[in-house]
Amino acid sequence: MSRDSKDEEMICGLTADERDLLQHGLRELPDVMPPRHVWQRIREQAEAEGLIRQRRMRRPITWHGGLGLAAAAALAAVLVPVVMKSPEPDGVTVPPTTQPTNTVEVNALQALMVESRQLESDLRSLPDEPRVRQAGTVATISEIEDRVAAIDYQLNDPAIHMTAEEKEIFWRERVRLMKLLVGLRYAQAQRTAF
Amino acid sequence: MSKFADIQIDAAIVRRAARGDAHAHEIIYRAFAGPVYSLCLRFTRVPAQAEDLVQETFIEIMRSIAKFRGEAALGSWIRRIAVSKALMHLRSAWTARGQSLADDWNEVTPGDAAGHGVSSQPEAALDLDAALANLPSVGRAVVWLHDVEGFTHKEIATLMGRAESFSKSQLSRAYQRLRPMLAVPGEELRGEGAALRGF
Repeated sequence: MSRDSKDEEMICGLTADERDLLQHGLRELPDVMPPRHVWQRIREQAEAEGLIRQRRMRRPITWHGGLGLAAAAALAAVLVPVVMKSPEPDGVTVPPTTQPTNTVEVNALQALMVESRQLESDLRSLPDEPRVRQAGTVATISEIEDRVAAIDYQLNDPAIHMTAEEKEIFWRERVRLMKLLVGLRYAQAQRTAF
Repeated sequence: MSKFADIQIDAAIVRRAARGDAHAHEIIYRAFAGPVYSLCLRFTRVPAQAEDLVQETFIEIMRSIAKFRGEAALGSWIRRIAVSKALMHLRSAWTARGQSLADDWNEVTPGDAAGHGVSSQPEAALDLDAALANLPSVGRAVVWLHDVEGFTHKEIATLMGRAESFSKSQLSRAYQRLRPMLAVPGEELRGEGAALRGF
């Protein structure tokens, strides 16, 4: 036991059980998301101060996870077959023998798109969200959907030109979030079933 | 373990943010907005103030992320900025009222937490959230930093510009207020006969 924790035990006035209970309860308190206008305020200030690069095209962000998911699924559905049929997929003009790095990137990108599409399919195969839901789970699902939608927005914005490496980063993050989402929705469905 | 530590952001996204990429910053914001806002809201209890602190925190992140070298986790770095902003706000509030850091234990009205803005949680969480909201702002900040974010008394004392004994005293007084919340099912821990360590 450290000196600090020893000191705490002498002054805190709680039993070990009480302290564990309190700390566990506090750590389990769900996060609260700020209102959506907060990001707008931050972005406006950041643009005014020159902290971020302004967008070349402006359009309102719609924070509907479903739309984002559908857009990304459609993108994956269109791109993946093309990539699989052609030896020189979208954006790659040099033969693989002379550009092994690009090939690896494209193949990794392709794999991530396929995985993302599979996760979309898994998500759709789950039953609809139950009427009675845990507030914490709902908040988490909503937060993840927002993050996926933000990524989809970037992947689908024609004004944004990304390298294959950059696309891979965003697709990898998307897959990671989709796995979390599927896991949460699956757990939610299990709770409803029993 | 703090929720900040659970959030992973790809290093490449951080590098893009350091170059001023708005989209990378938006990804970072979406990932950390919840923990940052929750921390600020539990420090201030006032949603509008918490929103301002979230804004200050993320603007500071944008100003400083180019200097972030990755020695610590991004979440820890962001948490440190948020805590600093929230404590600065508390200090300015105390200064404006001409009060010392320890004075506000007498001003809290029991039961005034109903409208503190942290709502829509399960019942048990609501109870604890409400009890936490009923604490004076300093005690609440110390409890949150110590028990949720994992700061030591020494670190809290440094952040608040006070001695370690101040942090311990605040925590002890806060625990006394929170103790009635802590009935363990099947046991009687509230009574005078309960075996309390350290007494």
